[in-house]
Parts: sequence; structure tokens; C-alpha cells
Amino acid sequence: MLENFSFRTIIEYLPLLGEGFVATLWLSIVSFAGALAVGIILCAMNLQHSQVLKLPAKMYIDAIRATPLLAQLYFLYFGLPRLGMVLPELFVGILALSLNSGAYIAEIIRAGILSISRGQVEAGVASGMTYAQRMRLVILPQAIRVTIPPLLGQAIVLVKDSALLSLISVSELTRAGQLLASDRFMPAEGFITTAACYLLLYYGLKSLAVLSARWLGVRPIGSRI
Amino acid sequence: MIEFRGVNKWFGALHVLKDITLSVEPREVVVVCGPSGSGKSTLIRCINGLETIKDGRLVVDGQRLGDRATNMTELRTEIGFVFQSFNLYPHKTALENVTLAPIHVRKIQRTEAESAGREMLAKVGLAEKFNAYPAELSGGQQQRVAIARCLCMRPKIMLFDEPTSALDPEMISEVLDVMVGVAEEGMTMMVVTHEMGFARKVAQRVVFMDEGAVVETGTPEEFFSDPKTDRSRAFLSKILRH
Ligand SMILES: Nc1ncnc2c1ncn2[C@@H]1O[C@H](COP(=O)(O)OP(=O)(O)O)[C@@H](O)[C@H]1O
Ligand SMILES: [Mg+2]
Repeated sequence: MLENFSFRTIIEYLPLLGEGFVATLWLSIVSFAGALAVGIILCAMNLQHSQVLKLPAKMYIDAIRATPLLAQLYFLYFGLPRLGMVLPELFVGILALSLNSGAYIAEIIRAGILSISRGQVEAGVASGMTYAQRMRLVILPQAIRVTIPPLLGQAIVLVKDSALLSLISVSELTRAGQLLASDRFMPAEGFITTAACYLLLYYGLKSLAVLSARWLGVRPIGSRI
Repeated sequence: MIEFRGVNKWFGALHVLKDITLSVEPREVVVVCGPSGSGKSTLIRCINGLETIKDGRLVVDGQRLGDRATNMTELRTEIGFVFQSFNLYPHKTALENVTLAPIHVRKIQRTEAESAGREMLAKVGLAEKFNAYPAELSGGQQQRVAIARCLCMRPKIMLFDEPTSALDPEMISEVLDVMVGVAEEGMTMMVVTHEMGFARKVAQRVVFMDEGAVVETGTPEEFFSDPKTDRSRAFLSKILRH
């Protein structure tokens, strides 16, 4: 097999693969930022006592978790034009990833906030802090620390999920691999190269986690939570 | 300073506080004791609004709780609360723990708050531990930081909910010594504790609670040597046996 493996073709397609890599990278970043925004809003709704906000958030989160991302992607891709909204594929793709990951992120943040003990809230209340001060000074700094590893896991899932965007012909990494595979009938070259690129992104995210932990000042002893 | 009049509270069907009438004068130290589940924690948690009352009158520092005109957040800055489980902020150093509320709630300058915080930590015997995180401190040290955290707000009232119950025996006295010091400086205090030595030393009154009601009140001397009711006698014989 290896003697047939054509590095020459890979090199020939490197510019296209490079473009795909960059596209996957930035559309993942944009989608993750969108997902964080969606997640924070959903989580804030879900933490309210009033059912008016809580119930829609819960239903949304359940709907997203119960259905495949591909179905959600097609739902937007074919559904939005029917509502008169014709949007570029790339935009639809980013929207789908943000809306999908946002539901998971909402649950990650909620778990982080709920993991902070009742006593922490009470200590803040007893010292005269307002709800906003408690959140900002006591709860969120602790919640963020426990939230980073699962958020990073979700970022990795999002990067891999972005491969589905190739199905609505967004030019990204998997799409570039597909082109190589079908133009030259070289699926091995195409898909092994894309896989290697995803691996690279994975390690990138992992080192980001280490850096962010250092930046947030997570100390092994200081955080007993 | 603190006045309960005919206060009742329920948790669902459970009548936790039954017609409580009790007052604490400025600079007075009152010890509350009684069996587990008798409503002691609930009683003092009502004072700073961690629990709300159903009916009756509760006036703290001249303000009636539950009144529209009463700003609970503001009132709480005047009341220190020491928890059984310390509840220090684990992501903050000892110094940050004691300066957080002064800076953000009292709006004191950071440098000023920090020098006051250092002074207070030194006073409770933790001059070496300014930069230690709670997890690096023993239980007794953590509770002393928690007391310093309250004192840094310059409160008018200090409430303690079994401050030494979660501590190893050898650490109890270091915390009680700090509390005695606070009492001797004239703080108004309400302390839920079974530490008789502390009560005899600084309390003007002991309040004995059972099943949500105040059953007996007296000076420490009267209460410990000559309890008036069967229930307080039974309770005292139990804690004395240990
Ligand atoms: N948040 C709550 N919800 C329901 N019941 C409670 C709650 N807090 C306390 N209780 C009950 O109220 C009673 C009094 O509790 P507490 O004030 O903690 O007693 P103590 O401090 O004297 O041990 C207990 O029976 C306890 O189980
Ligand atoms: Mg209690």
C-alpha cells in the first residue's frame, strides 16, 4: 500500500488543503464563540426560578440533544430558504454549529455553577454582596475553573462536527480532502491528510487548555473544589 | 439590637420556630444551645435574612425585617456571620478573603482594606498566613480567617453558628480565644455553641431551645448549675457526659 501512497499528490493539493485547514480553524472559532454566547444565555434562562424563561431553554436543550447534528444542519439548510431566508452555506453552517454546541455548553456551565456549594453563596450573601457581585467575585471564578476542561472537550467535538459542513458544500478541511479523493481517486491520501490536520487542531486545543489554566491562575492546592 | 417578638417559621409542615420572643441588647453576648434539630441555626439565620420568617416581628439594628423600607443587603454589611463549615472562598488567599467584601461592598480603597486586613489577620494570630489559600490552612486557622473576614467589615453584630463543631478538639480553643477577644471588645454577639467554658466566660445570658421553642433563659451560672426544666436538665446531662 505504502508504495502506492502518493505524497506527490498531497503536496500538489497542499494549497487547497491549507485553505481548508484555515477555513475549519476560523469557522470553528467563530462557531465556538457563537456557541458560548448561546450557552451563556440558555444557562442564564435555565437558572431562573420563573418557568417563562426556564421552560423554553429546557425544551431547546432537549431538542438539540435528542436530534442528530446532521438533521439540525439540513433543517436549517433546507428550512430557512422556505422561510424566505436565503443565507450563504457558510453562514448556515456556523449557525448550526453554534446552536448545537450552545445547548451542550449551557449544560456544562450550569453544572459548573451548581457544583459550587451552597455555603459559598451564603458567605457572599451574609457579607452583603448583591447577586451580581456574588456571581462575579465568588461563583463564576470558581465555576470557570471546573468548566474549562469540559468546555475544551466541547470545542474538540465542535471542530470534528464541523466536518459535516462539507455536506452542504462549505469549503473546509473535509471538503478539501474529498476533492483530492474524488479528483484523483485517492481516498487514502485525501482522508489521512485531513485526519492528520484534525489531530493537529486537537493538540492545538489541548495546549490552549494548559495555557488558559495557567492564565486563570488555577493552582493545584488553591482550588479544592 | 436584635428583637424577636412572636416569631414563627415553618419548613413546609415542620414548625421550626415557635412563637420566639427574645431580645439582645447592644454589647450583649448571648449563647444559644439545645439539641440538634431544635432550630438554633434557623433562629440566627433569620437575623441576617438567610431564612425568612412567616409571622411575628424581627427588628435588627432598628430595622424591621420583611419591611419594604429595609434594605437587606445594606443591613447584612452590619452583621457578621460565622458558619460551622467556615465557607471561605477557596480561590482566594486569606488576605483576599478578608478584603473582598470591604473592597467591593464597603467600597474601601484596596490599599486601605489590605492594611486593615493584614492587621486583622495578625490579630487572630495568622500574621504568617496572608498569602495562604484556605486548603493550605487547618480547620482552626480557616475559622479564624472567617472571623477576621467578618470583623474587617466593622460589623455591629456578630452571629456564630456552631463555630467550633467542625473542628478537631485541639483546635477548638484557638478559635474560642479569638471569640472571647471579640466579646471583650464589646461586640454584640449571638453564639450557637455548646462550649460551656466560653458561655461562662463571656456570655451574659444562655438561651436554651428545644423543638423550635425557647424553653429556658438565664445567666450562664444559673443555667449550667441550676437548670429549671426537665428538658434542659436532660440536655445538660448529655453534653456533660462527654
Ligand atoms: N432548608 C430546610 N428545609 C427543610 N427543613 C429544614 C431546613 N433547614 C432546617 N430544617 C429542619 O428544621 C429543623 C431545625 O433545624 P436547624 O435550625 O438546623 O436546627 P439546629 O441548628 O438546632 O440543629 C430540623 O428538623 C431541620 O431538619
Ligand atoms: Mg445547626
